[in-house]
Amino acid sequence: MFNLIKMNLYRMSRAVSTWVIAIVTVCFALLQFGSLKLIFDDPFNMFSGEAGSMVAFDRLDGVSAVTTFLQNGNVLIILAIFVVLFANAEHKCGFDKNLIGLSKNRWKQTLARWISAVIGMTALIAIGFGVMLGLTALFVDAFTFGSAVAMFKSLGLMYLGAVAFSAIFFFFTTLFNNSVGGVVTSLVLTTGIFNLFEMLMDMLVKKIFSSPKVLPTDIFYDSVFMNFSHSDASTKAILIFAGISVVYIVLSLLGSMVLQQRRDVK
Amino acid sequence: MDYILTTYELTKQYGSYKASNEVSIHVQRGAIYGLIGRNGAGKTTLMKMIGGLSRPTSGSYAIRGKNGESTEQMMSKVGILIEAPGLYPNMTAMQNLTTKAIALGINDKKYLMGLLEEVGLADTGKKKAKQFSLGMKQRLGIAMALVNKPELLILDEPINGLDPQGIAEMRGILHHLCHDRGITILISSHILDELSKVATQYGIIHEGRLLEEESKEELFGKCCERLELKTSDINKTLEVLNTMGFSKIEVKDDAINIYERLNESGAITVALAKENIQTNEIAVKTEALEDYYFQLTGGNENV
Repeated sequence: MFNLIKMNLYRMSRAVSTWVIAIVTVCFALLQFGSLKLIFDDPFNMFSGEAGSMVAFDRLDGVSAVTTFLQNGNVLIILAIFVVLFANAEHKCGFDKNLIGLSKNRWKQTLARWISAVIGMTALIAIGFGVMLGLTALFVDAFTFGSAVAMFKSLGLMYLGAVAFSAIFFFFTTLFNNSVGGVVTSLVLTTGIFNLFEMLMDMLVKKIFSSPKVLPTDIFYDSVFMNFSHSDASTKAILIFAGISVVYIVLSLLGSMVLQQRRDVK
Repeated sequence: MDYILTTYELTKQYGSYKASNEVSIHVQRGAIYGLIGRNGAGKTTLMKMIGGLSRPTSGSYAIRGKNGESTEQMMSKVGILIEAPGLYPNMTAMQNLTTKAIALGINDKKYLMGLLEEVGLADTGKKKAKQFSLGMKQRLGIAMALVNKPELLILDEPINGLDPQGIAEMRGILHHLCHDRGITILISSHILDELSKVATQYGIIHEGRLLEEESKEELFGKCCERLELKTSDINKTLEVLNTMGFSKIEVKDDAINIYERLNESGAITVALAKENIQTNEIAVKTEALEDYYFQLTGGNENV
């Protein structure tokens, strides 16, 4: 397993797409920093008297920096594209044929690929968030670091969410056996296209049951992630969020591994 | 007999269609086993099952006599190149080899360079796989298959699409691997002429079924030379040949095939003339492997 992860990291480091996505992530971080600078410091008096009205929070600290960067559809799309391209690269060029026949436990190769994708994703988040936080701390006057514990707690929860998303994207890429299926699924999930269907499902459930305890939006992961407010969440809400994330990770991975184990290589 | 690979009624079924239908082959250690068959005959399907890329619907196979669960340990001794070589196009030859080597826990650059030398790609340097010719890609595919030090190499149509020089280079590599390194090779092709230059054992596969399995000697014995004779009177000719002591004779359509004493065409012609039988045609002919294959499979379409 360790060798498989090493192999995946080797090929990741040599893939053009990895470096392109890393550059896009840094550009996105710069864009985020620019927006925060513009909104909170308002150097051109564009938002005088209404600082902060463009964002969902009224103060700029570590926690809100996490929210700005990670609880954002754009960064999820970047991460999704990275995961989908990485997960499918081996199959796309046929390299998987060199390894799959050598072991009957093909699922190990799938697990190693996902772990490597998460490592890559973690590096992208670290670079992107690091750039944005560093520049914001240095150049945005309105920024105050606030509680480091609160920031890392937020970061941890949002990171868990991003990992859960990666597992979902990974599963759909494995299911469709191509990048297009994975990218389309991730766009549907991260851009809110799926929301309409979720609202319809909610309405349907409310019509069938007079006062349902759980609605589809409580368990569809895109809603769970986007609606989670970690800055003022109760312990119970945090546990539910973490629990749902873990369930999605486990189910998506199991699904991917079973598919890989049982499916013939074309 | 020392078989490195034996398949037992290996079957792959898609719906009601059997791509491989109870195929049982026996590959001798050290042989180059040629799988002959037209496109869609089931060669790739069979190879994919043996190479662990697809699951048999029924049947099994044994590598070095080990089957069932214990085949697992033997799978690491199998190298495969099935259909197109699986290469990362943006990587160099060495980087592609290194990628597989890392996965197998092999950390020996000299060994990998040795593999590149064996297939004639040692001087490709920083050239990326996407810039390689088809022949170079195929040779790199073989080097990839050799990374795990296989005892059995499965090559599916490795000469398909190669130019004459590429085919000759590939033939040289196969000879080297088999004779110098002792690797058993299972190779498929529909270019029968080429296959006949390298293979020592043959399996003829048609519509998913194994029609025949034989050694080079047995197969070439069937594709032997003969004297083909066409005369004005077949029955009288047979009497004359009988008088002359010929016994290995076969009448086919309007010709008589004689399988012995091929240098006596002059004597036959004189003997026939004495009996007032006109010789229309007499010639030594060789039945090619291709003719034999057509005869066996019943046609020459789509080969």
